[in-house]
Amino acid sequence: MADVVLEKVEKRFGDVSAVAGIDLTVQDREFLILVGPSGCGKTTTLRMIAGLEDVTSGDIRIGGRSVIGLPPRDRDIAMVFQSYALYPHMSVYKNMSFSLRLRHTPKAEVERRVQEVAAILGLSDRLNRKPRQLSGGERQRVAVGAALCRQAGVLLFDEPLSNLDAKLRVHMRTELKRLHQSVKSTMVYVTHDQVEAMTMGDRIVIMNGGSILQVATPLEAYDKPANRFVAGFIGTPPMNFFQGTLTAKAGQGSVDLSGGINLPLTRPVPEGSSRPVTVGIRPEHIHLSVEGRGNHQKVPATIDVVEPLGHDVIVTARSAAGNFQMQTEIYAGLRPADNLDLWFDTDRIYLFDRETEWAI
Amino acid sequence: MGDLTTTPESGETPRPRMAFFDREAPFGYGLVLPAVLYLIVFIAYPFLMSIYMSFTDAQAGNRTWTWVGGANYSKVDSYEVSANDFVVATFPTQPQAAAFIAKKGEGQQVTDAVPGGRFRASIVVAGAKIPLIEMLSADDASFNASSILEDLQWKARKTIGGKYEVVAHSDTPLVIGTFPTRAALSSAKRQILVDADVRTKTNGTGVLQDPNFLLAVKNTFKYTFGTEVIKLFLGIPCALLLNRAFRGRKLLRGLVVIPWVIPIAISAQAWLWIFDSSFSVINWTLVHWHILSPAHIINFRGDKDWAMFSVVLVNVWRGFPFTAIVILAGLTAIPDEILERARLEGANAFQRFIYIIGPMVRPILMVSLLFSVIFSFTDFNTIWIITKGGPFDQTQVLSTYAYQLGVNAGYLGKGAAVSLFMFPIMALMVFFMLQFLRREEA
Repeated sequence: MADVVLEKVEKRFGDVSAVAGIDLTVQDREFLILVGPSGCGKTTTLRMIAGLEDVTSGDIRIGGRSVIGLPPRDRDIAMVFQSYALYPHMSVYKNMSFSLRLRHTPKAEVERRVQEVAAILGLSDRLNRKPRQLSGGERQRVAVGAALCRQAGVLLFDEPLSNLDAKLRVHMRTELKRLHQSVKSTMVYVTHDQVEAMTMGDRIVIMNGGSILQVATPLEAYDKPANRFVAGFIGTPPMNFFQGTLTAKAGQGSVDLSGGINLPLTRPVPEGSSRPVTVGIRPEHIHLSVEGRGNHQKVPATIDVVEPLGHDVIVTARSAAGNFQMQTEIYAGLRPADNLDLWFDTDRIYLFDRETEWAI
Repeated sequence: MGDLTTTPESGETPRPRMAFFDREAPFGYGLVLPAVLYLIVFIAYPFLMSIYMSFTDAQAGNRTWTWVGGANYSKVDSYEVSANDFVVATFPTQPQAAAFIAKKGEGQQVTDAVPGGRFRASIVVAGAKIPLIEMLSADDASFNASSILEDLQWKARKTIGGKYEVVAHSDTPLVIGTFPTRAALSSAKRQILVDADVRTKTNGTGVLQDPNFLLAVKNTFKYTFGTEVIKLFLGIPCALLLNRAFRGRKLLRGLVVIPWVIPIAISAQAWLWIFDSSFSVINWTLVHWHILSPAHIINFRGDKDWAMFSVVLVNVWRGFPFTAIVILAGLTAIPDEILERARLEGANAFQRFIYIIGPMVRPILMVSLLFSVIFSFTDFNTIWIITKGGPFDQTQVLSTYAYQLGVNAGYLGKGAAVSLFMFPIMALMVFFMLQFLRREEA
């Protein structure tokens, strides 16, 4: 059992609060992703789990045992660093077996484990090379291999793919996910890339400003963002936001956007006087026509920019309510400066309190 | 891309010739010219000149130099044969040997002519005639034999085989003869008819025959390796300390390099006072703390056992900041993540130093060592200011000796020969260090 529990974990650097008392439970063998923009505290959280950073207050338990005050080597963890942190003067074999040799593991056992891990990662014919003789992707795999050789209960990843080129990154994403299915370790993975978070994680933890905003499966985070930040962070192209006013009369809610556009809501909203809200709608929920689909609201718009992606096209448009982007498969005939009616899917509209930014 | 200044080949549209100041090649040569001139005038010319000079009899004040070949390097005038111990006789028991020695005073020396125009000098003791030596000159032979009989001390000594041999011993070597050629020398050696610890010395005017030169070579190595080892022992901990985060680190980093940036001519004046025979602050402190009695104060520059220590100390004081700063540069070049990974993988501070920091700093350390060795090996300033090579040449190194011979004594050719001896030695050292570096990188 190697579950990780964080209880009211706080980290301050002088007067600056980097992590503001977070609670988090990572299940055994879970692939958990910490995601957020730079400076959100995700890397600090990971480094506190690793023991590279002291906690200011709070408790961290790995496998039920509090690790506060324990040195990193006694925490049953292994870590993959952003820069890979390979020892440049050691061969791949020695890099991967360094931790085992420090533990005086029998030679035959070291050999067996390294060969096994090298086979999984496709490094068997690279074991005698030095790191600088390897490609970026190979170095990355060596870093992962070194962590795997430890057979630690928890594997920590600190943005391991951010130094790879785009194509390799997509490939390694799949590889790491496959790896997680074959090894029995809990994995905590830090990234600022929401695509990585969505594609790889069992659950994702969205952080901002040192706090956790939402812990959810990728689809939950996409479907039910807990607040405006999560809504804007998850999904590409990002969600469109408009300023509006929510009114509810006799259980029937509607939002008034500027320019006289009114979006009737199909879901119940709390009764009450009108309140300012931020309205969110994803680009993929804006359509060119309504044929056979659910509730839609017409919004007259002018096309500004058309960005074809191949299968899809991203259209930036102007409307009385403000600028927005839509993503659609149909692409023929769309030209800048075209005036046309676009349809907002009113079943997929998100509302956020203007003040607190939490979802309504 | 063709050269812009060449005429275009037929078929191509002719390009207009560029104005002189727009062309890049002349500008480039212009930039290089001062450096090339400098190299020729101040490096290549003196170096080649000193090579030429070392093969001539150049002396200060002589206008004409005569080619003398390798005489400055090695020229043997004579070979000198000498020995301290001569085994005169062997007896089965000690009393017999003692009885023989007791008869020494009554001994006679006789010289006979032998075939081949030689003379055999023997001694007759206790009725036994013992042939000692054969030489071409009867006088020389009889002189040596008489010395052995009359001047040397005779003692009985037990041999490994359990017998007793009578040994004639001289504290200062008894010079048996000097011989002009190596052939004469070896035939002379064969004509010593008893067991003796025969030694040969070459006398000559070449540098290799000069005992002071050999001493200077020894001192140079002592000085270089002494300072380099101590510099490393001080430099590594100093660099590790400066690499830690603490208040005033920047200030300390600045202070550490002061010995390195102060001109040696100035700092050596301070050291002269520190080492002064009457006013040495070190002596004063040691006496003050009752570690030394005033009667036994150290003469740092004048005592032959302390002089080398003193010059090494000054060189270490001056050079170790450089070593420390270079190692520090190596340390700061190690990414934090690598040390963090090592910590995470279970390496303690000592293991991190041995397995990670050491190997990663080693290449840059070797480069600094290479420079440092070259500076120490050729160092002239420190020694010249502190001891001038004294006392009794105990701190004479190749560079100071070359100066003494070439400039002070005026033997320019020999001085050049001495300084050129440094060249192959250093070339070898550099070769091995670079070889080591290349292996590291492979």
